[in-house]
Amino acid sequence: MPKALSSLALAALLGSAVVAAHHSFAVFFDDTKTIAITGSVTEFRFSNPHAIIALEVKNKSGMVEEWKAETNAVTLLKRRGWTKDSLKAGEVVTVDGWPSRDGANYMRMRTIKKADGTVLGTPVSNQRAD
Amino acid sequence: MRALVSLSVAAVLLSLSLAAQSRSTRPDFSGYWGAGRPFRAAERDPRPLPPNTVLLTDAGAPELAAGNFGGLIVKPAALAAARKWKPADEMTLSKACQPPSLVYTMQGPFPMEIDQATELIVMRLEYYDLVRVIYLDGRSHPPAAAPHTKMGHSVGRWDGATLIVDTTHVAASTITNNGLDHGENVHFVERFWLSDDGKTLLARQEFEDADTIDNRGARNVAWDRQAGEHIYPYECDPTFVLNYGNKK
Repeated sequence: MPKALSSLALAALLGSAVVAAHHSFAVFFDDTKTIAITGSVTEFRFSNPHAIIALEVKNKSGMVEEWKAETNAVTLLKRRGWTKDSLKAGEVVTVDGWPSRDGANYMRMRTIKKADGTVLGTPVSNQRAD
Repeated sequence: MRALVSLSVAAVLLSLSLAAQSRSTRPDFSGYWGAGRPFRAAERDPRPLPPNTVLLTDAGAPELAAGNFGGLIVKPAALAAARKWKPADEMTLSKACQPPSLVYTMQGPFPMEIDQATELIVMRLEYYDLVRVIYLDGRSHPPAAAPHTKMGHSVGRWDGATLIVDTTHVAASTITNNGLDHGENVHFVERFWLSDDGKTLLARQEFEDADTIDNRGARNVAWDRQAGEHIYPYECDPTFVLNYGNKK
C-alpha cells in the first residue's frame, strides 16, 4: 500500500473511532483574559461534568442577555462547600472568570459573589480541576 | 536420604520465608488519595527518563493548549486528525459523558480510592466513576483481538516497594485533551511508589503507540493520602452540553 494511502486509511480509522469527550479548559477558555458579569440567576444546574449557572445580564445598551457560567465538577465543588441549594433563581450575583474563546456568552467561573458580598465556597486554586 | 529430606525441607522453608519477606516489603496503597497533581520540586523519579521519551507537563490540573502536544512527535495521519478536531465537536449529548482512557484519566486532578489485596488491586476513580482492576496473580494479557476498554487490561508485579503495572487493550481516546488521540495499540506502563513518609503516592506513567507517535510520552503524577475521605459519585449528565453555544 502506498504510504499516502496507508496514512489516509489510518486517518479515517482514527476519525471514525468514538474517542473520549472531555471538556478542556485550555482549549475552550482564554486564560489570558478575565471578565466579570453581574446578573440575576435563572437556573442553577448542580451536576457533572460541570455545574452551570444561567444568568440574565444587562449589557451596556440596557438589553438583557443570557449568559452561562460553567464551574468545576460538582464532586469538587462539594468539597469546597457548595450544595445544590447554594444558588436560587432570582438571586443577583457577580461572576468573575475566563471568557469562552469562541465569543459565546459562556464563561468559566473563578469566583462568584452574592449581592451581600458573600463569596460562595472556597475559590478555585486552578482553572481546570474539571 | 535423611540429609536429602532435611535439605528439601530447608529449601522450602527458605523459599516461604523469602516470599513472606517479599510480601512484608510491599507497601500498602489502600485508602483515599486526593486529586492528582504534578510532582513538587523535591519529588523525583530516581530513574532517568528512558531514551526517546518526552515528559509531558500537563499532569494534574495544567492542560496543553490547542496545537501543543507536549513534545510528542505525532505521525502525519494522527496530526491531520488532531488539526481537524474542533472543541465544539465534543459538546454533543453522545460525547459529553464519554470518559477518556486511562492515558488521560490517570493524570487528572481527581481523587481515587485504592483497595489492595495480594493478587488484585482495585483503583476506583472519582472521575467518570471509572474502576481499574490490576491483576497481580501472574496472568498474561488476553489475545490481541480481545475487547478493548477505556481502562484496558492491567497486570502488575512488585519490584521491591514499587508496583509496576502494564496495560494493553485500551480503547482509542485522547492523549492530550486537545485533539490528539491514541489508537487501540497504545501500551501504558506505570510505576507506583510511596514517599518516605508514606503520605504521598507517586507515579511515573509511560506510554507508546506506534500508530500515532514516533517517540514515547511520560507523565509524573502524585496523590496525597487523606484519612477519613472517600470518593463521590460522578454521575455524568450529558445534558450539560445543551447549555453550550449561546452565541452573542
